[in-house]
Amino acid sequence: MTAALFILIPLAAAIAAAAVPSRLSHWVALAGSMVLVAHGLVAAVFFGAWGTGAFALASEATWLRPLGIELALGADSVAMALVLLNCLLLPLCVAGSFTAVQERQREYYAWMLGLAAAVNGVFLARDVVFFYICFEFTLIPLFFLIAIFGGPNRERASIKFFLYTFTGSLFTLAGLLYVAWQASLAADGAWTFSIAALTDFASTQLSAEQQGMVLLALMAGFAVKVPLFPVHTWLPLAHTEAPTAGSVLLAGVLLKLGTYGLFRFALPMVPTAVEEYAPFIATLSIIGILYAALICWVQDDVKRLVAYSSVSHLGFCVLGLFALNPVGAQGSVLYMINHGLSTGALFLCIGMIYERFHTRDMDAMSGLARRMPVWAFFMVFFTLSSLGLPGLNGFVSEFLCLFGAFISTRDATTGYPGPLGPWYAAIAGLGMILAAMYLLIMLGKIVFGPPKVPGGAGHGHDDHGSPSALPTDLSPREIAVLVPLAVLCLAIGLQPKPLTDAIEGSVIETLRPYARLAVAASEAQPEGGFVLAEGIDRATERATRPLVSQREHSRLAGAEEGAAP
Amino acid sequence: MSPFALLAATGTATVPIDAASAAAAIPAAIARPELAWAGWILWLPAISAILCTACAAFRVKGKLPAWITIGLLGIASVLVFALYGRVDGPTTIHLFDWIDIAWTGRGPDAPREGIVASFAFYVDGLSLLWMCFVVPLGTLIALYASEYMEPDVGRGYPRFFAGVSIFLFAMSCLVLGDNLVLLYLGWEGVGFASYLLVGYYYTKPSAVAAAKKAFIVNRVGDLGLALGIFLIWLNYGTVEYDGLFHALAASGGEGEAGWSVRAIPFLLMLAAFGKSAQLPLYVWLPDAMEGPTPVSALIHAATMVTAGVYLIARTYPLFHLDPLALPLVAWVGGLTALFAATIGMAQHDIKRIMAYSTISQLGYMFLGLGAITAYGAVYHVFTHAFFKAVLFLTCGAIMHGFAGQLDLRKLSGLAWMPGWRVVAWTMLVGCLALAGFPGLSGYFSKDLILAEAFVSSETRPGWGYAFLGWLGLATAAMTAYYAFRVWFRVCAGPVHFEPGDEAHDAAEDHGGHDGHADHAGHAAAGHDDHGGHGSGGFHPHAPRLAINGVLVILAIGAVLAALPCFIGGDAAHPGWVEWMAARSSAASGVPPHDVHAHPAAFFGLDPHKAMYYVSAVFGIVGLSIAAWLHLLDRGAADRLRNALLAHPLLRWIPLGAERKWYVDELYDIVIRMPLWFLGHVLGFIDRYIVDGLLVDGIARIPRFFGRFIQPLQNGVLQGYAVAMAGGIAFIVAGVVVLFWIWRLGA
Repeated sequence: MTAALFILIPLAAAIAAAAVPSRLSHWVALAGSMVLVAHGLVAAVFFGAWGTGAFALASEATWLRPLGIELALGADSVAMALVLLNCLLLPLCVAGSFTAVQERQREYYAWMLGLAAAVNGVFLARDVVFFYICFEFTLIPLFFLIAIFGGPNRERASIKFFLYTFTGSLFTLAGLLYVAWQASLAADGAWTFSIAALTDFASTQLSAEQQGMVLLALMAGFAVKVPLFPVHTWLPLAHTEAPTAGSVLLAGVLLKLGTYGLFRFALPMVPTAVEEYAPFIATLSIIGILYAALICWVQDDVKRLVAYSSVSHLGFCVLGLFALNPVGAQGSVLYMINHGLSTGALFLCIGMIYERFHTRDMDAMSGLARRMPVWAFFMVFFTLSSLGLPGLNGFVSEFLCLFGAFISTRDATTGYPGPLGPWYAAIAGLGMILAAMYLLIMLGKIVFGPPKVPGGAGHGHDDHGSPSALPTDLSPREIAVLVPLAVLCLAIGLQPKPLTDAIEGSVIETLRPYARLAVAASEAQPEGGFVLAEGIDRATERATRPLVSQREHSRLAGAEEGAAP
Repeated sequence: MSPFALLAATGTATVPIDAASAAAAIPAAIARPELAWAGWILWLPAISAILCTACAAFRVKGKLPAWITIGLLGIASVLVFALYGRVDGPTTIHLFDWIDIAWTGRGPDAPREGIVASFAFYVDGLSLLWMCFVVPLGTLIALYASEYMEPDVGRGYPRFFAGVSIFLFAMSCLVLGDNLVLLYLGWEGVGFASYLLVGYYYTKPSAVAAAKKAFIVNRVGDLGLALGIFLIWLNYGTVEYDGLFHALAASGGEGEAGWSVRAIPFLLMLAAFGKSAQLPLYVWLPDAMEGPTPVSALIHAATMVTAGVYLIARTYPLFHLDPLALPLVAWVGGLTALFAATIGMAQHDIKRIMAYSTISQLGYMFLGLGAITAYGAVYHVFTHAFFKAVLFLTCGAIMHGFAGQLDLRKLSGLAWMPGWRVVAWTMLVGCLALAGFPGLSGYFSKDLILAEAFVSSETRPGWGYAFLGWLGLATAAMTAYYAFRVWFRVCAGPVHFEPGDEAHDAAEDHGGHDGHADHAGHAAAGHDDHGGHGSGGFHPHAPRLAINGVLVILAIGAVLAALPCFIGGDAAHPGWVEWMAARSSAASGVPPHDVHAHPAAFFGLDPHKAMYYVSAVFGIVGLSIAAWLHLLDRGAADRLRNALLAHPLLRWIPLGAERKWYVDELYDIVIRMPLWFLGHVLGFIDRYIVDGLLVDGIARIPRFFGRFIQPLQNGVLQGYAVAMAGGIAFIVAGVVVLFWIWRLGA
């Protein structure tokens, strides 16, 4: 029931927000989202699976069992962390929209709360069908949020966003159904849609070719959602046209549906194929990192710049995931959270500027730090978080992702396969330099420089007569929206250990198929992957290790195993 | 023997110092949790930064931020000395866990394969030495800035002191951290503090550009550091110094090391060259002079830029992993020293001259590191911190008093003006030390490096160390010339001055009132206590107690810094600095003193003794030329320049030196422009090819056919749907094809 409440509370709040009069709906939405946060905090405190690979908060509805569908919910620590991120961002988005949205508020808040419910459903689903329903349902609220409340080009953006991601996820559905079909064939016609059961089946029973097909199908949907390099073009458009809160949720949690999907499905389900394809996917993410970063550099539209920076940043996230070792994967999960915090906050900051000046053109404004020092403080803070300044959250995850990719070499003693290697990290690391370039250029253009305010009114402290009558600098409400994010950024940057400890079990559990491969390779410890390095004196072992690749080991070992029976 | 002959002589009989034995010489660190109070050395500046930010938030009008900073940094200095008294030999102090990823099980007995980087200190002679000048110097410069930044009270004042506090926090992390990841935190942290402070006058486009440039150029080096850290982990399984030295010692050094081991020193070097402004990454430092002068003194002269020297000294054993590593450090250092000195001789802005001088002196330090005298390098860091801080702070006092005037052609005779005597004479002390005048601190530290370069030519022939020694001597003469060019022009000669065209705080001061950034207008707008503009009604604004007091203290420090060369150590290491360096990783691989003390490497003489005379001669020659051209016959300098300009074959000398050898322009054309162009091309490709042609174009195909088949169909939605399917199918097909190509290739 605890898990179900994560979906039911925002749904109830959505219905309430749609039912009450317009002038009250934002308060209802705020109250509902605060209840959700409170529920999340309580659930987090009593959550039993922190630090382990197990699932907690299990609840299931049995009335669909005849169809093989169990409406099962539950969360491991990674899912829980992402649910909490979603719950946290929701009230901030609601409060951040108080002045920005002045008409059709009931629809606005209802869609937003509905979106949060669907996102929570995706993270909590333990059943493929429910997962897919929620995954697709997220498109509908966001479609309306963009199409009704978006910028001038909103129609094209919303349709493109909807159809692009919808088409992609059809392939994902096909892939998942194929796995379920194969599983039912193997089980004499007994269908199951349980993620755990299908994962077990697919990772052990499917042939390499079948796994490759399934991975392609999964990637088709998840890569669009992430978005990975060649299929990213819906994102800048959707981000630019979406209302502020839509952008925040889009960057904060909706993109994470893609990486979460990769983490939850692709990695554990089809390990053989993932290991084969990992260099290729990593290459795509590196292309994305550099390509999007260079495009960021020449943007004039600040929101578009941050949108492209998401493409670049998520490249790091996917790179870390496909390093297929715990460092990279933990970095990747941490990246999902951190990117949600810092990029979400950047979109909020930009939204505050847009509300005041009704432009996103970086050439139209300059030196806003003098006019809005408090805003400038937050803008600089979150930009630094985004470019990975150590001491703030972005650094930890970026560092771990690159680290994971770097040490993912074939002869590493990490006990995991090493599909990538130093060159991947070195080239992706160029993205660090480019990120500093485009983000500091952005700061130099809008925050610093000679004071200039859009609209030619360069003088003094007159208000621009925006309909919402916002103060020159941030209002207490706006500060209250940004402060929790800033505190979290700093806290995760200085003290990431509680978070990494909490998600460690899930990450190792997800990577278990790979640890097994590695154990078969080294033949060191037949009983499990965790104690692989036992008794190895690292320094001498490394110095004398023969240069036989892990992969060849695994092939040899696999051949022997195949020959034995 | 000509230097070129030495360069050409290829000796294979190098003395390889192997990394394993170098690391084995470092004693294992002792964990001492009872010293956890030392953590306050970090927390006090952090608290100061928070309080200063709070002052900014509550719009405190007054000098409260300065007093907070000075007070807390003062306490931190006391703690540094307290720690100094309680530490003997390498010590680790654990504060709290930071990054800790392990995947081979937990528990006391479980083997740990993982990456661990804690907030913890590794305290030994090297880190203590650094802290002993970083924190007290920071306190003194904060005191100086409390007066210098006066015009900004109530505006940028808290922001300035918050920046200084953040800097000291980060620098302490960098120096005291017990692992490379914490060093990386400090490394980028000081870069960020530098970004904040260089861009302090943020309404000035040049300041914003300089801040950006400093951060971005440093990021190139940071990438090197990050990759170096990864490689170190990959090879040694740890990023903590203690474990690293242990693993390095255990690695035995048998056989030929692989590329992944040998690349480590070069990556670390890249980081050091970025932070310490060496070729080819030095370009950010001269521009960084856009920041307030106390910042230039603290960050861009005395402390932050020496972080590269610290990094190499700290990881010195790793630099023996490849025989090319240390000679390369020496060559880069020697060439940078000469290169920056040539530019420094031709500039007119005294602060820029000091900036190039800093680059040049840092070059000496790297030459020292490369010549296997980490002690000499560290000693030069120590003395340079004092005398260069004095020089920058005197420049700052002049700038402060003469409404931003920094052109040495427009100032003269300061030593004879009332109120300016302290500035002029402390500047003289700084210039003498910089020029290596016998008896002053810079003389001893520079000589150590130069002498060791000649010693290395004997012990490690074939790498051109002797040539570098001569290069260093030539640079010493140039250094004396440009230092005294400044002093003779500005402080000696007849009294004459013109005020600058803007006060140092002009952009900050006036931008808020009239809301435009027309800098030309600022001087005309006037500045209440600087008087009007034009030399007629202008009254220089002589420094008061805080500035003068700090100048005198630092000048005394610059003189007394000569003493640690001789006293304060023990029998084997007579000088305090040497003694400190000997008790750290910087000593590893350095042969014991008596072994190499007396080779006849310099014309049959012991270079250490000969250098006292030779470098003094070079220094005095440079000083005399400066005296002739800039004191006795000031017209002669211009005549010489014009004569050179008129000469068709030699005109490149003054032109190139004045234009900084066009390096900025070169980088702009070679790096920035192509990338910028590539960005636009990719933006175009993204919009019109990836999105337009592939996605939308495929979307149009069904509509195109639909026109023939079913003209009435409104195909927008469906078109897109089919298009997306087609697009995905296309991409999937591409993926498959590429995958097969890749697999065939593999």
